[in-house]
Amino acid sequence: MSSLGRLYRGENDINFKKWWRRGLILSAILIVISVLSLFTRGLNLGIDFEGGISWEVKAPGVSVTEARSALDGVGSGGAKIQQVGTDILRVQEPASSLEKQAQVAETLATLAGVEVGDVSVSTVGPSWGKEITKSAERALVFFLAVILLYLSIRLEWKMAVAAVLAMIHDVVISVGVYSVFQLEVTPPTVIAFLTILGYSIYDTIVVFDKVKENQARPGLTSRMTFTDLSSLSMNQVLLRSVNTSVVAVIPVISMLVVGAGILGAVTLEEFSIALLVGMISGAYSSIFVAAPIVVWLKEREPKNKALAARLGSGGVGYTTGRSAAARAAVSSGGSVAGDNASDSSDGQSLAPAAGVIPPRPRKKGKTR
Amino acid sequence: MASRKRARRGLGGLLVIVLVAIFAFTYTIVSGDRPLLGLDLQGGVSLVLCPASPSNPQECKKPGDPAISEDTLNQAIKIIRSRVDALGVAEPDISRQGSNVLVQIPGVKDKQRALDLVGQTAALQFRPVLAEYPAPVAVDTTSSTDSTTPDTAPGDTSTTDASGNGATPPSTSGSTDTSQQGMRATTKWVEGESAAAFETAQAPATTDSTGGLTASLPSDATATTSAPQATATPQTATSSAPPLTPADQITPEATVVLPQVDPKTKQTIAIYQLGPVVVEGSSLESASAGLDQSGKWEIRPVFKSGVDGIDKFNTAAGQCNPASATCPTGRLAVVLDNQVLTAPSIKVASFARDQITISGNYTEGDAKDIATALRYGALPVVLFPQQTESVSATLGRDALHAGLVAGLVGFILVGLYMIAFYRFLGVLAMVKLLIEGSILWGLLCYLSSSVGLALTLAGITGIIVSIGVSLDSNVVYYEHLKEDVRSGRTVRAAIDKSFASAWSTIVAADGASVIGAALLYFLTVGAVRGFALYLGLSTVLDLITSYFYMRPVVRWATNSKRCAEHPGQFGLPVPMLEPKNAVANHVTVSTGGES
Repeated sequence: MSSLGRLYRGENDINFKKWWRRGLILSAILIVISVLSLFTRGLNLGIDFEGGISWEVKAPGVSVTEARSALDGVGSGGAKIQQVGTDILRVQEPASSLEKQAQVAETLATLAGVEVGDVSVSTVGPSWGKEITKSAERALVFFLAVILLYLSIRLEWKMAVAAVLAMIHDVVISVGVYSVFQLEVTPPTVIAFLTILGYSIYDTIVVFDKVKENQARPGLTSRMTFTDLSSLSMNQVLLRSVNTSVVAVIPVISMLVVGAGILGAVTLEEFSIALLVGMISGAYSSIFVAAPIVVWLKEREPKNKALAARLGSGGVGYTTGRSAAARAAVSSGGSVAGDNASDSSDGQSLAPAAGVIPPRPRKKGKTR
Repeated sequence: MASRKRARRGLGGLLVIVLVAIFAFTYTIVSGDRPLLGLDLQGGVSLVLCPASPSNPQECKKPGDPAISEDTLNQAIKIIRSRVDALGVAEPDISRQGSNVLVQIPGVKDKQRALDLVGQTAALQFRPVLAEYPAPVAVDTTSSTDSTTPDTAPGDTSTTDASGNGATPPSTSGSTDTSQQGMRATTKWVEGESAAAFETAQAPATTDSTGGLTASLPSDATATTSAPQATATPQTATSSAPPLTPADQITPEATVVLPQVDPKTKQTIAIYQLGPVVVEGSSLESASAGLDQSGKWEIRPVFKSGVDGIDKFNTAAGQCNPASATCPTGRLAVVLDNQVLTAPSIKVASFARDQITISGNYTEGDAKDIATALRYGALPVVLFPQQTESVSATLGRDALHAGLVAGLVGFILVGLYMIAFYRFLGVLAMVKLLIEGSILWGLLCYLSSSVGLALTLAGITGIIVSIGVSLDSNVVYYEHLKEDVRSGRTVRAAIDKSFASAWSTIVAADGASVIGAALLYFLTVGAVRGFALYLGLSTVLDLITSYFYMRPVVRWATNSKRCAEHPGQFGLPVPMLEPKNAVANHVTVSTGGES
């Protein structure tokens, strides 16, 4: 409770340096498992991608629900079942063994009260054709390039690289879950994977924007190493991340529990899982994957190395993290919203300690 | 006073956005529009198309026929998809079933409409016009009145000729724009199929009135002379048309006689004797319809580059201009489904692949129809609709029902969480969600009825995810606000500053989503495209409501006396300064504001 209370009151002061290492190790393990599984087990692709078998039978008066429960008996409850016209049942399923196909045909014949020979069987090609996959792949390559460019301009290239790596991390893990558990991949699942891409980038941008904002605060950059600054930013943004994730995940869990569990719509489950894994991974990777990558890239800059050396000898340790930030904020004339420190339209901001350290003039353009 | 004024800033935008939401909501209720549900949720029409030979398009080929390779079928599927899904959001389900093509279109109750959507199934070809004949005399009596109207469908005038007076003046609108078109730098390929084309046989000068001649490039000027055409026209208006070539005798190599049919009245407008195919639809890259400088509709085809594209077309153009034995009329007909769409004169011997225009007396509808036919090319095989049936949903209503119930439960839980965390500000956030929801719903219904947007399960996913993204804007803002208040600012001072910071974060993050959505929309097809549209719409809506709703409404709420006295009810912390000071400060500020 107390740690949650501190989080609520904004007093959390977690040393993320320690957690980043653990996070990276965990992520590395998950990625290795996912990639291994993808190469060995592959994905369980649905009929829309692979094509399969289609049965049609004249079965007046047989409802889709009846057909589904009958087919469930031979393990084909997940097949695509449609009523064509008024009296024809169409069942589509990924290709399987011949015995299985015969069983399905038999079940349908019994259901319709006809001879097995009256069930027409044909193969179906994929409806999610190659050209859809191809165009989506091409779009993704463009997307990566444009996002890298966009984030390089809006933030900086190191953050752009980290954000994209975190995004890849999230998608690999989500796809990995489908491979490890051999869940069926349907078109909605692919859409869910795409959603994860967007969500992951979105979340990482929000987190990085905080780091960027803190970097612009004059009182902080001279007192803290980039590592500590980032750790501080993570503390500040943690509650936001938790809240956003909770808010985003609740409807998805509701879909899993209420939709798939209670109301029995299996198809909802198929992609709710992808969304759930992807969203949690997206929130996690922003703080535990993207951030340490940026820290690692930034600490290699000579400027930050020098700063680290100076602060290291000066003895300003991490422990002062959040309180130091508060002090810095106060001492720099209350310019909390660093990015917009020049906004003085309503300049009645409290400046209790004004004059202790005069605010550093704001740099024009991009601050580093 | 000042603070009251300050609190009112932005209320105009707030009012507008609330009104828009209310309007969207009531409009949707009143108009009774429902979003078109996708194939997975609602079902639609299922067509089974089988490949047939052009000579006998009513009979399916047997599986294994070498003429129907997998590639051919895949190409046909691609073309059908582009026809059914011109805007890429209807999400039809198109696949091979055995050697047939299975097309399922969501929500279409009318089977004929589904067949129309899948469209014409024969090959698109270009054939030189050997001769044009008026339609059989038996035609309707209204045609003579038609011919006097300046903007009749091209070719209508020819029916008048049939009734005996070859002297009917051709529509003059063509000639009036001749001079204007001469100024343009684009090369033209002019519609010349009206009766005037015959008239040239009697009076060469009338070629000018045919349909706006043209070629504009000075070097081509000689090529535009009408004389060769006129002399080469072998037929006179008095000769009667030969019988139409039966379907089974139509081959690319043969000389054929084909009709031009009015797409609306289904009446034969004219009959053409055509030479062998010189260019096929596969040489075309795209086509569009547009207005020329004089405000008339024209068609702009773009050919592929290279030997199989523009080169082929230019070879054909070379035969027609100057007219030669293979192309005595100097006209090239566009033939689709064994019917002549249009038969323009070739006015230049050589064309640049993307500088071609076909002009004539087209109505907007004519021009667009022809452009569509050109753009989507033709199917590589003739497909015969073997079975047309309505189908039930692939997932069924239960999935939709479950999705809706789950969404509702999710919405309530999210609301409880937001209110528990941010109290009154949480309530405001949920109202924002309602505003976005009603606008999005209105847009969905509108797009469903206008461009056939289908709401699939994937689309519902997108909407559910957008709940999280939308509320995130509030969370980012509120957390900023809390942080600022905690570090010693008054709520009033913090409110605009933290919005500025939060807004920049929101724009950055939403910007990435919009970029992603736009790229996916423009570069993909099928279900991915539908998803991109939802993502883009909901993200843009979030930006709009964050700026026009969230900012003013939070400013208004926090400017109240209540907020100053009980910040906890607004989910805000008590400032971090010495408690007494902070409270005193607040009270003074707020009384100032309320006075």
